[in-house]
Amino acid sequence: MKVDIGPITRIEGHLSIQTTVEDNIITEARSVGEMFRGFEVILRGRDPLDAQQITQRICGVCPYAHAIASSYAQENAYNLSVPANGRIMHNLIQGANHLYDYLLHFYQLSALDFVDVTAILKYTGSDSDLVKLRDWVKFEVASGKPFPATPFLPRLSGKYIEDTDLNIGALKHYIESLEIQQKANKASAIFGGKFPHATAIFPGGCTQDPSIDHISSYRSLIREVKEFIHQKYIPDILAVAQGFPEYWEIGKSKGGFMSFGLLPLGPELDSKRLFAPGVLLNGALEKVDFEAIKEDVKYSKYSSPSGLKVREGTLTPAPHKSSAYTWVKAPRYKGQVIEVGPAARIMVDYTQGHNQKIKELVDKFAGVAGIGAENLNSVLGRHLCRAISAVVIADFLLEETERIDTKAPTMADYELPESGEGFGATEASRGALLHYINIKNYKIDRYECVVPTTWNCSPKDDRDQPGALESALIGTRVETPDEQIEANRIVHSFDPCLGCAVH
Amino acid sequence: MPDLDRRKFLKMAACLSAAFGVGNLPAPVLAALKKIDGAVPTLVYLQGQSCTGCSISLLQAETPNAVTMITEYSKLSFHADMSATSGKQALALIEKYLSGNAGEYFLAVEGSIPYDMPEACVMGHKPFAEHLLDASKTMVGAVAIGTCATHGGIPAAEGNLTGAVSLKEFYKRKGKSPLIIDIPGCSVHPDWVWKTIVHLVQVGLPELVNGQPKLFFDRKVHELCPLYHDFQQEIFAKKLGEKGCLFKLGCIGPDTNADCSTRWWNGRQSWCIGAKAPCIGCASPIFAAKKDFPFYRIAKKGKE
Ligand code: SF4
Ligand code: SF4
Repeated sequence: MKVDIGPITRIEGHLSIQTTVEDNIITEARSVGEMFRGFEVILRGRDPLDAQQITQRICGVCPYAHAIASSYAQENAYNLSVPANGRIMHNLIQGANHLYDYLLHFYQLSALDFVDVTAILKYTGSDSDLVKLRDWVKFEVASGKPFPATPFLPRLSGKYIEDTDLNIGALKHYIESLEIQQKANKASAIFGGKFPHATAIFPGGCTQDPSIDHISSYRSLIREVKEFIHQKYIPDILAVAQGFPEYWEIGKSKGGFMSFGLLPLGPELDSKRLFAPGVLLNGALEKVDFEAIKEDVKYSKYSSPSGLKVREGTLTPAPHKSSAYTWVKAPRYKGQVIEVGPAARIMVDYTQGHNQKIKELVDKFAGVAGIGAENLNSVLGRHLCRAISAVVIADFLLEETERIDTKAPTMADYELPESGEGFGATEASRGALLHYINIKNYKIDRYECVVPTTWNCSPKDDRDQPGALESALIGTRVETPDEQIEANRIVHSFDPCLGCAVH
Repeated sequence: MPDLDRRKFLKMAACLSAAFGVGNLPAPVLAALKKIDGAVPTLVYLQGQSCTGCSISLLQAETPNAVTMITEYSKLSFHADMSATSGKQALALIEKYLSGNAGEYFLAVEGSIPYDMPEACVMGHKPFAEHLLDASKTMVGAVAIGTCATHGGIPAAEGNLTGAVSLKEFYKRKGKSPLIIDIPGCSVHPDWVWKTIVHLVQVGLPELVNGQPKLFFDRKVHELCPLYHDFQQEIFAKKLGEKGCLFKLGCIGPDTNADCSTRWWNGRQSWCIGAKAPCIGCASPIFAAKKDFPFYRIAKKGKE
């Protein structure tokens, strides 16, 4: 039977998943991106410096990743040499945004798949947040209205955590995490100007002063976030893993993994990075080659040619194209399906033995959970890899603040060239992000973004290979084919962002 | 103040704000206004061509915070990023409101509407535009959240392929004129939205200027900018990162109605001009609209 489990909620943007279910097994899955704006066309003919601002509006959840990727692409096109402070500030802004994003994803976007909200009705303590929540849920449920206590209730049917204290603790952390993610965002806004959509990020650095005032505020905020990560976020993930160990096996994508590397350790764009770049194809590691990326559109709503390289990209929407089922394109690396995101980032780094801390953390948590590194390709693996990223990034940000020279500049000096072209690659929280700019006559002639969720939520390609998420869904057993909480958990583990994917 | 007096006072305040700000509204709008007086809005929050930045910004609210707003003031009934339910159950919930079978509600809309290409934004096999038409028959009013919803924003910028328009423009073209409170900003400041809702709950409709709450959009960023003194003394930054008024780098503060210069952002910790970044006019109707009106004025090689 065919079941559409969309609209999927607790993600960014408009996503449906059309499934075919036979004997409670998903035999086919189509990932359907349902919103299109056409950023690349809107950017054409504009001043190149508009790009790091406009591309942030692709996504209000990870705007900073777009600002950074665009800045890198422009730095590449302008041949800019960036002052050390400028690069450090880019890192401080982007790194804090990652921390926020992981917390938002785990607590607000994923936890309600596992936590039983109704446990709050049994709360007898005196914590004012929980009392408020309990009374509100009680009142709403008793009101007899058709939709009690939304947005928490109603919810999908399925198995939730049974232990009352565990559930109540998780709800308390759900509320606390909101305050903590604000702190992470405050930290990035110190150098970014504001969040969402930073105005102070530019190619060549950041306009903010490198003062002790700003640095000390930043540090104290990140310290609080770090504490929450260690004391609550990680134990909560392990608690979910204990309650649902089968999710170390469920939701495996079938293809390769890619990371563009995150947080340069020096001012140059080709500096070593905190997280190493690379592509894992059939278990073997390769260097990333942007020329090996092509975007197929056989099943996407565009009439422009299929299989174009990034620098050749064009875009002609065809909303009524008969073979198409989504606005998302299908990028492929050497023709292969690729998963990007936290699991890919950690696996790519781990395979190279690049960052010692990542290796230790993977080994440690794998030991605690009783799994192998290959189980990172799973629902719980993706959650765990976010937490590992968070630990590594929080430590790095605190060290990075010590490298700011309070007397040195934070911005490169520049004049914009008449022409030029550049690639800018980084890791958004959701995975590998690539921007490409081509400038002619002082204007943007072509702009292309190849975005994490475009890889993960891609449809079938020209050779009919399903995308990463589609492949992870196929073969999954669902207890209630009508609602499919299992499929929802798989989708959420990828943390899709459809605004990004289609843009 | 005893409870009864307070209620009377609130009623009076609502009447006064209506008298000053919204005297010339069409009759159906005024009728709708009577209804919301003193009522708690139930918010059905839908996203069109949006980046979710406004929703994310709303979670950054501190006084009151988002949990308080959801449990005490707004009665948020559906939000794609927060709701536990999804799929058919979520659609049924939305449809129940939009068909008028779940009581009174305010619609909150984030994102623009692809007028020329309805397929460019679909929710549950139905174009977003059609959901909006359903809502127009049943909602008390709407809050347009963010510059995309109030003026089209970047999806409507020159050269766009979908014919994106604001909520007001969408309804206008469909011959409808529901009550709409516009709250621009790319993204919106959380206070601008939540405090408008607190105002709706406690007092009634806030006074509007150009359809926007006067509380927040009465004055220009420029008027209360801490660099206004530099502006008057003609102390201008000539390069990014330099000290001085940012006017010569392209600051659009003189053309943008918003209270960023006094409210600041992210818990009053920072804001654009505080980080020496020119205001790009994100709350202005002209934001990003034209290709040949760039955000910045920066030297170009070989050009003057
Ligand atoms: S920085 Fe902008 S808003 Fe401030 S005084 Fe100068 S021109 Fe006005
Ligand atoms: S200062 Fe200008 S660009 Fe910054 S948030 Fe306010 S209106 Fe938007």
